[in-house]
Amino acid sequence: MNSDELQLKRASKAALFSLLNLTVLPVIGFIILLLIYQKSSSDSIDHYYSVIGIKTNVFAGIALLLVSGLMILLGGFDSPWTWVYVVSYFTFVHALFILFATWVLVRSWTGEKLKKNILSK
Amino acid sequence: MMKYESQGVAKLYFIAAIGLFTGQILFGVVMGLQYVMGDFLFPEIPFNVARMVHTNLLIVWLLFGFMGSAYFLVPEESERELYAPWLAKLMFWIFLVAGALTILGYLLVPYAQLADLTMNDLLPTMGREFLEQPTITKIGIVIVALAFIFNIGMTILTGRKTVINLVLLTGLVGLAVFFLFSFYNPDNIVLDKYFWWFVVHLWVEGVWELIMASLLAFVLIKVTGVDREVIEKWLYIIIAMALISGLVGTGHHFFWIGTPDYWQWLGSIFSALEPIPFFMMTLFAFNVVNKRRRDHPNKAAVLWALGTAVMAFLGAGVWGFLHTLAPVNYYTHGTQVTAAHGHMAFYGAYVMVVLTMISYSMPLMRGQKAGNQKAQVLEMWSFWLMTVSMVFITLFLTGAGILQVYLQRFSEDPLPFMVVQEKVALFYWMREVAGLVFLIGLILYIYSFFAKGDEVVFAED
Repeated sequence: MNSDELQLKRASKAALFSLLNLTVLPVIGFIILLLIYQKSSSDSIDHYYSVIGIKTNVFAGIALLLVSGLMILLGGFDSPWTWVYVVSYFTFVHALFILFATWVLVRSWTGEKLKKNILSK
Repeated sequence: MMKYESQGVAKLYFIAAIGLFTGQILFGVVMGLQYVMGDFLFPEIPFNVARMVHTNLLIVWLLFGFMGSAYFLVPEESERELYAPWLAKLMFWIFLVAGALTILGYLLVPYAQLADLTMNDLLPTMGREFLEQPTITKIGIVIVALAFIFNIGMTILTGRKTVINLVLLTGLVGLAVFFLFSFYNPDNIVLDKYFWWFVVHLWVEGVWELIMASLLAFVLIKVTGVDREVIEKWLYIIIAMALISGLVGTGHHFFWIGTPDYWQWLGSIFSALEPIPFFMMTLFAFNVVNKRRRDHPNKAAVLWALGTAVMAFLGAGVWGFLHTLAPVNYYTHGTQVTAAHGHMAFYGAYVMVVLTMISYSMPLMRGQKAGNQKAQVLEMWSFWLMTVSMVFITLFLTGAGILQVYLQRFSEDPLPFMVVQEKVALFYWMREVAGLVFLIGLILYIYSFFAKGDEVVFAED
């Protein structure tokens, strides 16, 4: 396998583990993502996708833990309104992160970067 | 522009579908207001009647939409004219008249009297949610479905067989077969619920997913030019996952109806897998659009196709998973959380896939490759208005549902149902506003068919 193919394979692996970390393999997915990042060299496509994966998951983590935590802290654990905000917010926003990670995964399969209007070439 | 003249039959079905869709939304808006102004239009249109009309119109217009889609898709896939176009036209009028009479019956005659008038006592089938139709209407639906499947089946069997038209046929046969359970109405209410779900669940979380996947695959082949083989492989995996998860997933309806405890495990585990086929549809649509070989001039159709995959994943997948595990469902069962899921799932999966087919095929049936510029801009506006307002309807109902669960079922001093309904009224008001925006989107959608503007040009022209 030449280095281009290896990079492409790693890029799609990074995108996949970013998605898995958001869904069925939290934490483990992120550790594997970090390992892929470590192996990649800057300016390569696998580096690009592992950075996107890490950023996505850090933002998703902040959205999940920090924002939800703040909502609980400010709203109070026993207030029904806290749970209205936390559950609705988490479900919707986390689903958007999953959708974004899915699009990133699809883009990584082509070896191209993200910047592209989805409806026109 | 159509490859086969008989595909034009679909136009009748699509026009009827859009008309009935409008009726459904109007009753939805009326009912939304009745949530906060209980006597609005009472006694002319009581809440229970508005609800029945809202849900029945949904089912009937989606059936019109599926039939129209099949009549457009099958000749093209089978590479031959429809077996009997006259039969398709005849069945259209029978179905439309039967559907209209049934809705008028709901609106003009008290339900018990309607049951007497239609001789329900000879073969009692009325009274179950979504399956309220008089027995005679149900018999009519079976006749229409049989004629439809005969027509579609003969076209496919005597023509080219593709994965897409065979998956579609399987889904449509399943739709007809599972409807037959609506004729069995046992006295034992637990048994009755089993058979009721064998219609409702096995439709929307079983065979309808096959119909949806095949329609989406057809449009995606047409608008992206991606190889059929690639799309067919995806289709196999999606339908396999839909059936593996969806069939035993019926168990999530058996948690609290007097069935054995093992259903809580089976229902939870298998229905937790149900988001997978919807997620795969998203992955599939993203992937195919990303790999497209051409930019189709019908951008509105591409937008609807992508929107279908995304919204079906959110509504059916994510919002379904939200309350499907038995320990969660113990609290959320039958609350506004269910309504939130129902709205977004039906819209995302089935409304949008029918609108995708209409968006792709209607210009072709009107002699154009794609709608003109202005029509497409208006259609895309209507897409965003309807889709965003449906997201808000879902979020407001989710908020109402969570508050309802907490106040009515979770807190140490549970409040009565109607007291809680007053406390969540703010959410109902906001849902009503979102519903009105949805209606505006729908009006814009209908207007887009009449908009005049510059023709779009195909890159190959």
